[in-house]
Amino acid sequence: MTDLSAQETPFAGAGSDLVKRRNRKQVVLQGLGLAAISFAALMLFILIASLVVTGYKAFVQTHITIEVYVDPAEVSVEKLPRGGFREVLLASLQEEFPDVEGRAELRRLQNVFSNGAQFQLRDMVAADHSLIGQTVTLRVPVSDPFDQLAKGLVKRETPEQLRRVNDREIAWFDALDAAGKISQPINWGLITNADSRFPELAGLKGALVGSFWALLVCFLISFPLGIGAAIYLEEFAPRNRWSDLIEVNINNLAAVPSVVFGLLALAVFIGWLGMPRSAPIVGGMTLALMTMPTIIIATRAALKAVPPSIREAALGVGASRHQVVFGHVLPLAMPGILTGTIIGLAQALGETAPLLLIGMNAFITSAPSSPFDSATALPTQIFIWADSPERGFVSRTSAAILVLLTFLITMNAVAIYLRSKFERKW
Amino acid sequence: MYDTPTLERSVDNNTVKFSARDVHVFYGETEAIKGVDVDILDNTVTAFIGPSGCGKSTFLRCLNRMNDTIDICRVTGKITLDGADIYDKRIDPVQLRAKVGMVFQKPNPFPKSIYDNVAYGPRIHGLARSKADLDVIVEKSLRRAALWDEAKDRLQEPGTGLSGGQQQRLCIARAVATAPEVLLMDEPCSALDPIATAQVEELIDELRQEYSVVIVTHSMQQAARVSQKTAFFHLGDLVEFGDTAQIFTNPRDSRTESYITGRIG
Repeated sequence: MTDLSAQETPFAGAGSDLVKRRNRKQVVLQGLGLAAISFAALMLFILIASLVVTGYKAFVQTHITIEVYVDPAEVSVEKLPRGGFREVLLASLQEEFPDVEGRAELRRLQNVFSNGAQFQLRDMVAADHSLIGQTVTLRVPVSDPFDQLAKGLVKRETPEQLRRVNDREIAWFDALDAAGKISQPINWGLITNADSRFPELAGLKGALVGSFWALLVCFLISFPLGIGAAIYLEEFAPRNRWSDLIEVNINNLAAVPSVVFGLLALAVFIGWLGMPRSAPIVGGMTLALMTMPTIIIATRAALKAVPPSIREAALGVGASRHQVVFGHVLPLAMPGILTGTIIGLAQALGETAPLLLIGMNAFITSAPSSPFDSATALPTQIFIWADSPERGFVSRTSAAILVLLTFLITMNAVAIYLRSKFERKW
Repeated sequence: MYDTPTLERSVDNNTVKFSARDVHVFYGETEAIKGVDVDILDNTVTAFIGPSGCGKSTFLRCLNRMNDTIDICRVTGKITLDGADIYDKRIDPVQLRAKVGMVFQKPNPFPKSIYDNVAYGPRIHGLARSKADLDVIVEKSLRRAALWDEAKDRLQEPGTGLSGGQQQRLCIARAVATAPEVLLMDEPCSALDPIATAQVEELIDELRQEYSVVIVTHSMQQAARVSQKTAFFHLGDLVEFGDTAQIFTNPRDSRTESYITGRIG
């Protein structure tokens, strides 16, 4: 044994230099690959982490709980839905701080409440008239500066003239906090409210519903058309110059910048056909134009992946061409088609540019009730919020991005699940 | 040399099923079959042998017009089935394929249940009026393919879960379920182990009672074991066609002799 290794191993010798170089190359290549993946993972981590760090505060909202005496002198059944709800609210705070006087100071005190507080009280009273003349306990959002203060985004150390809340206001807030009237519950308003000028009231409902309608329209148009086109091209079309031309153009279409589709939609759907501006139906049709090439390409790949032996088997027992396609090939290709469709729709969900061009970045304070109403979509809502000057929208923008990412990840997870569940082995 | 004495088996039916005259097949510019004349008899197993690329599979696929599915493939000449030209414009290739069943090289059951695999053909051709009819056809076909005893308790299980040999017999059952008159087999045993091969060969001999069987094979032993007639193809020509016993014991053409003695191929 020792003799043998001491002499010369049969594999060493002339080639050993070559072997060393080859091994070194392999190590370098593996290292480069690992570095690339680590870099990508780090970037992803930084992205998500920065979103979470700025966005998590938008998932809670500072509220104030206060006893409100619904004064019959200010609010009466006859005048509903009008009435002095602002005054009633202010009066309840004045009870806490009896020493506040003067119009300017009172307005400052009033501004502790969100502007939406009066409407919340109004809706309560409108729903139950017997509340007039009684004292109700109300929990309403505080306005954005106080929300920022509670979340520590407005720093107390900042000199007063640079701060959005002055020392007096901080004193009021601290007093209310000490009295246990300030709380920070989960901000369901982020999902259940539509857009608003006031960050503490702004939510994504309008954008979510708008995106839903747009995606539904997009799916209903692009799925049948895309699959139909793919089946025709893959299974029935003669192979000639024309089909080659169409194939090249479909691949090109998938690479066209999305803003071009927006221009097309603006000119054709809104300009010529006179369809409503800012409507999810137009948004959906525009997104369908973009999604269709993706679905066609995915469907053709899925159809191609069905082994020819299955086609032969069906043809061999005397199935006609369409029986082969619809009875055997299409069902087997369906998981692949669905995966491609979901990924296409996920792309459409995140698409912003074409929606901006057809006006889906309008400021709309109610959720659309049909695809023909004006609406925003998730990505355009993010765009609007990112553009807004109020401090409260900074964290809300990140929160909205997190909501969008959640939807995208969910859709991709469904696609992966479908693929692995229905994957067939031949 | 061969385990079955070929001389003892003779052709007992002289009805011509398929008749081919001057058949040429082109793939684009390439001529794959260069003028083949052959008569295939009923209740007979006819084996096509020859080296790879000699055109035997191509010719087999002309008999049920499977070549139609290949765009660049062109067939000239005349092939008749029971006297009718199968390349006539009025003939529907789909109907033809129901009459001329095919079994492929690799077992290719549909990814459906065993029952549905066999029932598919009768269903699309409307051969069964009721569920009971269909049940009868499925049982008969599986029995004919010698698979009934193994499959009767698992008819609803997927056909792809069977072993390779069972899958191939399932494909044979599927082919006979449409009540064909001819069975074409394209190297049906090349993906099977020797035991499964023996089972399928035995089955082929039984199928001869009711069908005309044409089998393409690479194995000369297999041709000798199962067939009554043998056709030897070489480079697109039908070199020699005759009784299997004569081809293997007394070939007339020197190329045939070279092939069966292992000098070419």
